[in-house]
Amino acid sequence: MKLKEVDRTAMQAWSPAQNHPIYLATGKKFQVTPLTLLLFKRLLVIKFIFFYRYHKLIWGPYKMDSKGDVSGVLIAGGENGNIILYDPSKIIAGEKDVVIAQNDKHTGPVRALDVNIFQTNLVASGANESEIYIWDLNNFATPMTPGAKTQPPEDISCIAWNRQVQHILASASPSGRATVWDLRKNEPIIKVSDHSNRMHCSGLAWHPDVATQMVLASEDDRLPVIQMWDLRFASSPLRVLENHARGILAIAWSMADPELLLSCGKDAKILCSNPNTGEVLYELPTNTQWCFDIQWCPRNPAVLSAASFDGRISVYSIMGGSTDRLRQKQVDKLSSSFGNLDPFGTGQPLPPLQIPQQTAQHSIVLPLKKPPKWIRRPVGASFSFGGKLVTFENVRMPSHQGAEQQQQQHHHVFISQVVTEKEFLSRSDQLQQAVQSQGFINYCQKKIDASQTEFEKNVWSFLKVNFEDDSRGKYLELLGYRKEDLGKKVNFWESLMAYIDGLITQALLTGNFESAVDLCLHDNRMADAIILAIAGGQELLARTQKKYFAKSQSKITRLITAVVMKNWKEIVESCDLKNWREALAAVLTYAKPDEFSALCDLLGTRLENEGDSLLQTQACLCYICAGNVEKLVACWTKAQDGSHPLSLQDLIEKVVVLRKAVQLTQATDTSTVGVLLAAKMSQYANLLAAQGSIAAALAFLPDNTNQPNIMQLRDRLCRAQGEPMAGHESPKIPYEKQQVPKGRPGSVAGHHQMPRVQAQQYYPHGENPPPPGFLMHGNVNPNAASQLPTSPGHMHTQVPPYPQPQPYQPAQPYPFGTGGSAMYRPQQPVAPPTSNAYPNTPYISSASSYSGQSQLYAAQHQASSPTSSPATFPPPPSSGASFQHGGPGAPPSSSAYALPPGTTGTLPAASELPASQRTGPQNGWNDPPALNRVPKKKKMPENFMPPVPITSPIMNPLGDPQSQMVQQQLSAPVPLSSQSSFPQPHLPGGQPFHGIQQPLGQTGMPPSFSKPNIEGAPGAPIGNTFQHVQSLPTEKITKKPIPDEHLILKTTFEDLIQRCLSSATDPQTRRKLDDASKRLELLYDKLREQTLSPTITSGLHNIARSIETRNYSEGLTMHTHIVSTSNFSETSAFMPVLKVVLTQANKLGV
Amino acid sequence: MVSVINTVDTSHEDMIHDAQMDYYGTRLATCSSDRSVKIFDVRNGGQILIADLRGHEGPVWQVAWAHPMYGNILASCSYDRKVIIWREENGTWEKSHEHAGHDSSVNSVCWAPHDYGLILACGSSDGAISLLTYTGEGQWEVKKINNAHTIGCNAVSWAPAVIPGSLIDQPSGQKPNYIKKFASGGCDNLIKLWKEEEDGQWKEEQKLEAHSDWVRDVAWAPSIGLPTSTIASCSQDGRVFIWTCDDASGNTWSPKLLHKFNDVVWHVSWSITANILAVSGGDNKVTLWKESVDGQWVCISDVNKGQGSVSASVTEGQQNEQ
Repeated sequence: MKLKEVDRTAMQAWSPAQNHPIYLATGKKFQVTPLTLLLFKRLLVIKFIFFYRYHKLIWGPYKMDSKGDVSGVLIAGGENGNIILYDPSKIIAGEKDVVIAQNDKHTGPVRALDVNIFQTNLVASGANESEIYIWDLNNFATPMTPGAKTQPPEDISCIAWNRQVQHILASASPSGRATVWDLRKNEPIIKVSDHSNRMHCSGLAWHPDVATQMVLASEDDRLPVIQMWDLRFASSPLRVLENHARGILAIAWSMADPELLLSCGKDAKILCSNPNTGEVLYELPTNTQWCFDIQWCPRNPAVLSAASFDGRISVYSIMGGSTDRLRQKQVDKLSSSFGNLDPFGTGQPLPPLQIPQQTAQHSIVLPLKKPPKWIRRPVGASFSFGGKLVTFENVRMPSHQGAEQQQQQHHHVFISQVVTEKEFLSRSDQLQQAVQSQGFINYCQKKIDASQTEFEKNVWSFLKVNFEDDSRGKYLELLGYRKEDLGKKVNFWESLMAYIDGLITQALLTGNFESAVDLCLHDNRMADAIILAIAGGQELLARTQKKYFAKSQSKITRLITAVVMKNWKEIVESCDLKNWREALAAVLTYAKPDEFSALCDLLGTRLENEGDSLLQTQACLCYICAGNVEKLVACWTKAQDGSHPLSLQDLIEKVVVLRKAVQLTQATDTSTVGVLLAAKMSQYANLLAAQGSIAAALAFLPDNTNQPNIMQLRDRLCRAQGEPMAGHESPKIPYEKQQVPKGRPGSVAGHHQMPRVQAQQYYPHGENPPPPGFLMHGNVNPNAASQLPTSPGHMHTQVPPYPQPQPYQPAQPYPFGTGGSAMYRPQQPVAPPTSNAYPNTPYISSASSYSGQSQLYAAQHQASSPTSSPATFPPPPSSGASFQHGGPGAPPSSSAYALPPGTTGTLPAASELPASQRTGPQNGWNDPPALNRVPKKKKMPENFMPPVPITSPIMNPLGDPQSQMVQQQLSAPVPLSSQSSFPQPHLPGGQPFHGIQQPLGQTGMPPSFSKPNIEGAPGAPIGNTFQHVQSLPTEKITKKPIPDEHLILKTTFEDLIQRCLSSATDPQTRRKLDDASKRLELLYDKLREQTLSPTITSGLHNIARSIETRNYSEGLTMHTHIVSTSNFSETSAFMPVLKVVLTQANKLGV
Repeated sequence: MVSVINTVDTSHEDMIHDAQMDYYGTRLATCSSDRSVKIFDVRNGGQILIADLRGHEGPVWQVAWAHPMYGNILASCSYDRKVIIWREENGTWEKSHEHAGHDSSVNSVCWAPHDYGLILACGSSDGAISLLTYTGEGQWEVKKINNAHTIGCNAVSWAPAVIPGSLIDQPSGQKPNYIKKFASGGCDNLIKLWKEEEDGQWKEEQKLEAHSDWVRDVAWAPSIGLPTSTIASCSQDGRVFIWTCDDASGNTWSPKLLHKFNDVVWHVSWSITANILAVSGGDNKVTLWKESVDGQWVCISDVNKGQGSVSASVTEGQQNEQ
C-alpha cells in the first residue's frame, strides 16, 4: 500500500533506526538540487540545503545515542570523488554551517557507501578504478584500504559490511565480480563470480542473520536474477531468484525479517521475495516507471521507499490495506501544512510540493503472503482468574534452518500460580482457623500480644471482651473505669439522699415545700432544694430539677442530668469529645440495652465526624461496643489506607471477629450485610482469589447478599474450583436470547434492566427452559449441588436466588408457583408483599429476606396456599435462626421456648405439628435436598460464618417474645456459642422453626405484652440496667401492651416504615428508616405507659389517619401542629423521628 | 512465588501467538501460526483438548473469550484479515460469525465489558479499528474507525465499565450511565483513546504520545473501585509506560516509565486485581511488576518457563533493575 509520495526529489536515505522521529533525506541524483529532509510522519519538508552533484547518500548512526535525538551523520558520495559529511541536526535546526567534513580522496564518482553497523564510525566507500576506502569518522582525514586493489581496475558499484562479523566487507562491480575482504588480514579472502559472466552487479546485500550468505542482483536484461551465495560453497550460487523479467536495478534486504528481500527492476516491478525459498511474497503496486533505488525504513519495518526515474519517491507499507481514505487524509494534511508558507520561521519559502494525482484504480492492496516476522508475537503472559498466569514462549530459531526444526519443537503453554502476598495468606489462614475452632478469645489475645500500637491493642481488647462474660464491665475496665469504683460513685447518690434525710423533717415543719425549695435554690443550696422537692411531690421535684440544672453549670451536672433524666442521648450528643471515654463509660454503665448500641453508635459517629484524626480512630472502639460492623468498616476505611492487602486483612480480621461477637452477644441479625461491608468482603475475597486461594475466598464471601457483583464472584469462584461445566449439557440459553438493542441510545436505555436481566441469564447454563429466578448452574446437576459452598445454615437467604430443590421435584418444574415473586426478590431487595405480615416487627430487611423461604416451604409441603399470605409466613428471623442452631430435637432449643412466662402460650410445642412437617427427612424448609443428602464435610468448614439472624434487643421492643428468647440465649452465652459455631451439614434446622412458625403466623399478632420492668425503676438507674445484659434471665421482663385504641398507631407507623423501606434504595435512607423504626419504640413505650397527653395522642391518631390516606403532607402539617403546641420534653423523643418517616414517605411516594 | 501448576502441550505445529483462559480460569484457548485455534479443558491440572478450530487461512494472532453470560464464545483474529467468532453449541464448537471487513492482518481482538452487551473491537494492520456489536439473531452490526493508526493498529483494550462518579454499584432502577471507551495502540507510536459519542459514533478522545516506536500492546487496567484509570502500554522501543488519569473528565493522562527493556516488549497483562503487571518481552522474558508503596514500579519476579520466585522487597520500594 502506498502511503506517501514526494515529488521533485529522487535520492533517498532514511534516518537510522535509532532516530525518532523518522526522517527521509532526499536529493536528486547527478544534479545540483537541494538536499531535503522530510519528517516522515507528516511528510513535511523540515529543511533543505544546497548541495553538490552526488551519486550516493547514506545516513549513518554515528555518535547517536539511544535517546533518538536527531543526530547521526549524512554521508554523501559526490561526482568528483568527494565524500561530504553533513550534520542532520544542524540542518534541521536551520544552522548554516552544516558540513562536518569533506574529503576528495577518491578519484572518480563515489557510487558506493556503507556504514559498519558494529562500529558506526567506520564507513566504506567505493569509486572508480577499484578504489575502496575505509573511513574512520573520528579521524576523517586519512582513510584506510581493505587491501590491494583488485585487478583489472573497475568501478565499484556496491559495497556492504557484513551483518554478523564486523571486519568483513564485500564489494561488487558491474562486471559481476564480488570480492569479500577481511579487514584484519587486510586482503580479499574470497571472490565470487558467476560462470556465465553475464552478471552485471547492481546490488549486493549480506544476509541479516547468516554471516556467510549474501545476494547479488544483476542489472543485465539477459540475466535478470538475484543470486544467493554461501561463501562456504562459493563455486556456484546457493539459489537463483528469477522473478524479474528485466534487469534488476536495486535490492534491499530487510533487517527485521531475513525472509523479505526487496528488488526493483527495469520491468517496473517492485517485488518482495523470500530469498530463502525464492517465493515472491508481494508485488507492490507501482506505476510504470522504473525504480532505481529501494530502501527499507530501518525504524519502521513495514515501510519502504522507492525512488523512480520520474523523480518521485514513494513510501509504501507492505502490510496492505485500503488507500482511499488515506490519500484524502494525506492531501488534507499536506494542504494544511502548505497553508503556512513558512511554518518553521526560517525566512525561506518552502519548495512547492504537489500531490501527484494518481489514478485510483484499486482501493485494496493485499498484504504479504507470509506474515512478516515482526508481527509474529513470540511470547506472551496473560493473567487469568485465580492469580493464574498463562505463559508461552517460542525459542528463537535461526531462520535459515527453517520450519523443520520448529515443527519438532514442542509448543507448550504454562499455567502458573502467582502468589505474591505470603503474609496476607498466612494471616488469612490464621483467621480462618480461629473461626473454625471458635478460638476467638485466643485469637484476640494473640493479636493483643502482637499489637504494635496502643490503638491496635485497644481494638483487639475491645473485640476480645465481646467473647467474655460481663462484657460491659470489661469495656469499662478497658476505658479505665473499674466497675467497683463506679459502684461507689453511684452510691454517692444514695448517700446524698441519706445525708439530707434530716432536712426533710425541717421542710415538713413549714409545710410549704415550694417556697422552701425556692429559698434553697436562691441560696444555692441545691441539695436542700432537691430534697425538699422530693418531699413536695413529683411535680415540684421535676420543676426543681430543671431549675437546678439550669442554674448549675458544673460538668458533673450534665452527667447527673443525664442520670436523672435518663437522657443519655443528650450527653452523648453534647459531651466534649475529649471526654469521649467518660461518655462511653457512662453509656456502658447506664444505658438500657435497647438504646445502648444506638448511643455507642452516636458517640462513634460524633468522634468520626470530628476533625481530629486521633478521635476518628477511637470511633472504631465505640462501633465495636455498638456491634455496628458496617460503621466500623466505614470508619476504619476512612482512617486506614485499605488498598494494601495487609491493611485490608487488618480490617477483615476485626470485622470477622466483631460479626462473630455480635452474633453471640447482641444477637443482631448479622445476615444483613451492609453495602460497604459487602464491598470490603468481596474485595477481600477477590484478593484471596487473586492469590489462588479460591476456597478461602468462597468462605469469606458474604453469602447472603443479592448484590450482583458478589453473586457473580461467587459463581466465578465456584466454577473456578473446577465444578463440572453445565454448559456442556445444554448451553442454549443466554447467547441467543441476549438481545442487544440496536442503535446506541437504545442500548443505553436497555441498561436499566441489564444488570438484572443479565444476572438471570448468566447462571442458568444448563436449564432449559430456564426458571424464572436465576439459578446457579449447579442445580442442573444434582451432584453439583454438593459443591455449592452454602451450608444449610445459610440457605435461608440463598434459597430465593437458587431454587436448588428443583431437580428433586421433576413433577413440578416450577414448584414455587406464585412464589416466583420470591425468587425475584433478590432483584428487589425489599419486597412489599412481606410488609404487612409483621406489622410489629421493625426489622424489615431481614423479614423481607425471609419471605422467599416461606414460599418455598409452602410450595414444598403443599400445606397451604403458596402465595405470600401471612398465614404461611415464617416467624421473625430471630426465632427461626436461633432454632436452626438447635438442631432437630436439641434440648437447648426446646428449653428456649419455655422461658418468658406469658409468651410461652403462643408457642406451641413442636409435637403439635404434623409429623410430616416435623420429621420430613430432607424437607427442611430451607434445606436443599441435595445438600442434605450429600455429605459435604470437606466443604463445610469454609462456611465459618453462619449468619444467625437473631434480632438484637436494640432493634426489638423489649417486650417482644422474640427478644425475650434472644435474651434468654444471652443468658447462656456459652452453649449458644457452641451451637452457632458451625451448623452441621445435615442439620435440618427448619423443623422446630416451623413448629412455632405456623401458629404464630396465624395469630397474626404478637401476644399481649406486659409492662417492662426496667421502665418502672427510674430512681435506680444503676445496677439494674447495667446488669441487664448479664442477668436478664433472672428477671421477668415484660412490657405492658399498647392499649388497643393506640395499637393502630404502631401498626400504621410501622407499616409506613416498611413501605418506605421497600421502595427506598439508597443505603442512607434505609439506615434512617431503620433507625426511625427503632426510635419509635420510645413512642410505643410511652403509649404503653399511657403517659402521653390526650392532645398528643389524638394528634398522633390524626397523623395515622393521614398516613392511611397517603396524605403525608397533611400528616406533616399535623406533626408541626403537635410539636408547636405540646411540651417539648414530652415529644422530643419520637416526634422528630416521626417527621423523618413522614418526610421520607412523602418523598418516596409510597 | 510463581510455580507451574499445569504444562499444556498444545501440539500446535508452529509458533503460539496467544493463550487465554476463560472467565473462570478453567479453559484455555490457544492460537498459532499453524492457523488453528485450540481449546483445552485445564481444570484440576488436566489438559483435555475440547476443540481444534480450523477456519483461518493465516496465522492466528489473538483469541478473546466473551463473558460467559453470553454463552461460550471465543473470538479469534488472523493475518488472513478475518475475525472469527466461535461458539459452543451442544458441546460442539463451531464458527458462528466471520468478519471480513479488514484489508490487512487483524492483530487484536478484545471484548467490551459485558455490561455493554456483546461488542468486539478489532484492530488491524490496515489502520482501521472495527467494532462488532451483536444485535441478536446471529446479526452483527459493524462500525469502523478508519485510519485510526497509520500503518496499522496493533492492540485494542477496553476500559472497564465504570459509571463516572460512583464507586459502588448504582441502585437498580436507575439507568447506568456507562461511557464506553477503549484504547488502541499502533504503528504510529501512539496510543489513542476512543469514546462513544451520544450519537453512537466513535471519536478519538485522546492521543497519548510517549513511545518512540510501534506500540505493541495496550492494556486498560481492571477497575478496582478507585477513581484512577490506568493503562499500560508497551512498545517496540522496549519501553513500558503506565498511564494514569485521576481527573473526572478523563482527559489528563500522565505517563510513568515502568522500565526500558533491551528488546521489543510484546505484551502487557494486568492481574484481575490490577496490582500486578505481567510484561512479556522479545527476549522471551516474562517479568512481573508491582507498584511499591512509594509509587515506583518494581520488578517482583522473572518468570522463566512459567517458574519464578517473587521478591519480597516490594514494600521497601527497592528498584529491581535487571
